[in-house]
Amino acid sequence: MIDAVPLLERVLTPAVLAPLLYPGLATALVTVLLVIWLERKIAARVQMRVGPYYVAPRVHGALQLVADGMRFFFQEVIVPLTAGRGFLLAPALALAFTAAAFAVIPGGPGVVGFKTDYSLLVALAALSLTPPLVLLMGWASNNKFAVLGSAREALLTASYEPLLFMSALAAAVMYGTLDLVAAVEAQARLGVVGLALNPLAALLFFVAMMAATDRIPFDIVMGEQEIVHGPYTEYSGVAYGVVMGLDYVKLYALSLLYANLFLGGWLPFNDPLAGSLVLYVKALAVMAAAVFLRGVYGRLRLDHALDALWSKLFPLAVVSILVSALIAYYLGG
Amino acid sequence: MAIDAGSPAIRARQIGVEEGLRVVELFIGPQHPASGHMRLVVYLDGDVVVKVDPDIGWVHRTMEKLAETREYVKTIPIFERMTIIDSCNITLALVQAYEALLGVEPPPRARYLRTILCELNRIASHLYGLGIGGIFLNHSTMYMWAFGDREVFLTLAEMLTGARLTHTYVVPGGVRRDLPQGFTDAFAKAKRYMLRRLKEYDKIFLRNPVVRSRLEGVGVLERAKAKSLGVVGPNLRASGVRYDARMLGYAAYGELEFEPVVGEYGDSLERIWVRLKEIETSLDLIEQALRQLPEGPVMAERYLKMLPPALRKLVESTGRVKLPAAYVNLRPPPGEALSRAEAGRGEIVYYVVSDGTDKPYRVRVVSPSFRNAVLFMVLPVGHRFMDLPAIYASLDYFPPEADR
Amino acid sequence: MSAVGEAERRRAPNPVRAHLEAIAAALSRALKPPMTLMYPDVVEELPEGYRGVIAYRYERCVGCGLCARICPARAIKMYKVPGDKRMRPGYDMTRCIFCGFCVDVCPVNALEHTKIHDKAYYELDSMVLDPVEWAEFSRRLIEEQSARSRSPNLVRAVFDEEVGLRYERLRRS
Ligand code: SF4
Ligand code: SF4
Repeated sequence: MIDAVPLLERVLTPAVLAPLLYPGLATALVTVLLVIWLERKIAARVQMRVGPYYVAPRVHGALQLVADGMRFFFQEVIVPLTAGRGFLLAPALALAFTAAAFAVIPGGPGVVGFKTDYSLLVALAALSLTPPLVLLMGWASNNKFAVLGSAREALLTASYEPLLFMSALAAAVMYGTLDLVAAVEAQARLGVVGLALNPLAALLFFVAMMAATDRIPFDIVMGEQEIVHGPYTEYSGVAYGVVMGLDYVKLYALSLLYANLFLGGWLPFNDPLAGSLVLYVKALAVMAAAVFLRGVYGRLRLDHALDALWSKLFPLAVVSILVSALIAYYLGG
Repeated sequence: MAIDAGSPAIRARQIGVEEGLRVVELFIGPQHPASGHMRLVVYLDGDVVVKVDPDIGWVHRTMEKLAETREYVKTIPIFERMTIIDSCNITLALVQAYEALLGVEPPPRARYLRTILCELNRIASHLYGLGIGGIFLNHSTMYMWAFGDREVFLTLAEMLTGARLTHTYVVPGGVRRDLPQGFTDAFAKAKRYMLRRLKEYDKIFLRNPVVRSRLEGVGVLERAKAKSLGVVGPNLRASGVRYDARMLGYAAYGELEFEPVVGEYGDSLERIWVRLKEIETSLDLIEQALRQLPEGPVMAERYLKMLPPALRKLVESTGRVKLPAAYVNLRPPPGEALSRAEAGRGEIVYYVVSDGTDKPYRVRVVSPSFRNAVLFMVLPVGHRFMDLPAIYASLDYFPPEADR
Repeated sequence: MSAVGEAERRRAPNPVRAHLEAIAAALSRALKPPMTLMYPDVVEELPEGYRGVIAYRYERCVGCGLCARICPARAIKMYKVPGDKRMRPGYDMTRCIFCGFCVDVCPVNALEHTKIHDKAYYELDSMVLDPVEWAEFSRRLIEEQSARSRSPNLVRAVFDEEVGLRYERLRRS
C-alpha cells in the first residue's frame, strides 16, 4: 500500500495549488462573479439605474451572478448538428491555458506556484494561447457570424499582442528582470511604483489589456450589433458560461500582472496574508477601472482599432521601452 | 494545408463566388440583436459591404384595409399604432384630413394643445432614436440615458392625456383634454433639465472620440441624392435641405416662431446632431405655445352643442371632453382630403376618400420610415461591415412605421 | 436659433480633452441618485385622469350601447342579462386598449377609468366579464385603488432639474 500522506504532499504542491486555489481558478471564479456584478453596478450608476437588485437586495443584488451562473449550469448545452470538431474542446482548453498562467503569477509575497526567472514571459505566453482557440470555436461553430467573428479575433490578436508584449517588456527593462517577484522587489527597492516611473507603459499595457479581454471599446470580436456574438454565438448553457467567463478570467490574470508590474504588487506589506489581500484589492481596482469604461465608450470600428493599435500605440510602445531603458540607466547607475 | 473550395466545410460556411466577387451573404434579422423588425440581406466582400437588400414588411398590419371597415373615430387608435412612440404626430395628419372632410375647425386652444403634445412626442421619439442609435454602437450609456430622459417627457404626456404612449388625444374637432394644473411648472423644470442633459450627451456621445470615429464621414447622403430619393425628415435636413412640414403652419405652428434645423454634411454624425438640435427646437416651441396658449374650449362647438347641459358643465369643470352620441358614426360628405404633418421621422401624408358613409372609403398613408427605407440600399454600399449599424443608428428607422 | 455651423459641433474636439470629458460626464452621473421607480416595491401615485382599467357602475347605466359602438377594439359587447329588460355592456380586458372612448361617450358617466393598469390572471377567460361580473369586478377594483392610495409605499413622480424625475415617498414609514 502506498502511504497517502506523502502522495498528497507531492500532489498538493504550490505549483498545483496556485493555479487551482489562489490566485488561480477558485479565486478567479469568485472574482469573475464579483467583477461582473461590479460592472453591472457601475454601469447602472452611470446610467441612472439601480442594476442587479432583487437577488439578495440586502447586499445590493450581489448574488445575482450566482443565480445567473446556476442558470447556465442547469441549462442544456446545445451542440449544433453542423458543429465541427473541437466545439466543446476549445473552451475547455482555453480555460486550462488561462489557468496555467496563474501557476507563475505571484498572488502575494511568497505565494507563487512555480518559481521561474521568466514568469512574466510564461504568463503572457500562456494567456496568448487562447486566441487560436477562439478561432477554433468560431470555425467549429460552423456559422457565418462565428466565422466572421473568428476573422476579427485573428486580426485583433495580431495587433494587440505586440502591444501587450512591448509594454510588458518596457516594465521588464525598467526593472531589469523578467520575473514578476523580482519586479515587485525592484519597485520596493526604488521606493516608487511602476505607474509613476513609466506612466506611458502603464497606459499602453492597460489599453492592450482592454483589447485582449474584449472590453468595450475593443469588444469587436463579439460585435453583437453586427455578428450576434461572434465566435461564441452557438454556445449555450455551461459552455456559454465558460466562454463568457473566459474573458473575465483573462482580465483577472492580466490585472494581477498589471498590479505586480505597475502598482507595486503586494507593497507596502510583506506578510503573505496582508500582502495577498493588498495585491488582490489592487487587481480589483484595475478591473473596476476596466469595466467602468463600458459606461463611457461604444465600440470601435475594426479597422480603426487595428490602425490605432499598430500605427499610433505601437510606436508609443517603442518609445516607452526607450524611456524604461533611460530610467534603468539612471536609477541603476 | 490546401482547402478545397468545394469541400462541404467551406460550402457550409457559404463563402462562395457570386457575381464575380468573393461574397458572403448574411441575413441580418429578423431574429438578430440589431435588425429591428426587419431583415437586411447583406452581401460582404471581405469586410466591405457590396450590396444591402432591405426586406421590410414583417410587421405589416393591414392598417389601411382595416380602416375601411371601421367608423372614422375608431380608425384613430389603429393608425396610432403605426408609431406608438410618436402617436400624436402620426395621427394629427389623419385627423386633419377627417376635419377637412367634415368641415369642422378645431378651436384655437385645441390647436395649441395639439402642438404641445406633438412636440413632446417629437422629443420622446428623438430620444428613443438616439438611444437605439447608442446601442447600435454598443454605447449602452447613451441608450439608458436617452430612455431614462424620455421618461420625463412621457410623464408630461401622461399628465396631459392620461396615457404614456397611445394618447389618442387628437380627435376630429379638437382634443380630448384640457391642460392639467401644474403642467407649465413641470414642463419648465423638464426643459431646464433637458437642456443641461443635451450638453452631457455631447460629451459622452457626439464629442466622444470613439463614437465620433464611428459616425463621422460614414454614410454620407449628398443633397441632390437626398432629394432625388425622396428622403424625409431629419435625414433630409441633415443633407442641407431646408424642408420641414411644420413650415406649412398647421396646428399652431403658423403662429409660433419656428425655424427648421438644417445640417450640412449629410453624414451619420450630422443626422444624429440634427435630432439633438431638434429637441432644443421642440422645447422652445412648447414653451412658446404654453406662453401664448389662448383661452377657450378644447372641442369644436359643433360637438359640444350636442351634449346635454349636465355633461357640458362636467366638461367645463373637469377639462375632460365628453363625446356626443353622433360621434360614434361621423358621416362626412363624399369627397377626398389630403393632409400632411411632420412626424418625428419625417413628413407623413394621408389621403382619405369618403363616400358619404360612416366608414372611410379609402385611407392611404405614406409614412416617413417607408420613404427612408430606401437609404438602406444606398448608404452602406462600399462601407465597412461595422458601418452598417452606425448607418442604421443614424437613420432612426422604425420598422412598424414603414410596414403599417 | 442658428442651425448650421455650430462651432462646438464642427470643430473636431481635442481627443485627449474629449476622452477626459466623456469620462467626467459618466463619473458625475454616477454620483447622482438613479431615476428608477422601484416597482413593485413602491406604489406610484398616478396623475389625475390616468387611463387605466375601466370600471362600470351597473346602477347608473341606461343600456344605451354607445360604449359598445364606439369601442375601437371591440372590447365592449352588449349582453342580455336575465331579469333585465335592457342590454348591458360586458368587458373583455384582453382586448381593451385603454383608449377611453367608452368613458368619454357614456352619457350618464356609468364608466370611469381606474388608475390600475397592472393586473395579471392565470386564465384568459377570467379576463372576459359579463355585465354583472364587470360591475362586481369594478367594485373590487375601486376598493383596490383606494387601498393603493393608502399604501405606506406610495411615491409620487416629481420633476427635478438635476435628475429629471424623482420618486418622492409620500409617507414616512
Ligand atoms: S377603453 Fe377603449 S378599448 Fe377599452 S373598452 Fe373603452 S373604448 Fe374599448
Ligand atoms: S354608454 Fe354608458 S350608459 Fe350606455 S350602455 Fe355603455 S355604460 Fe351603459
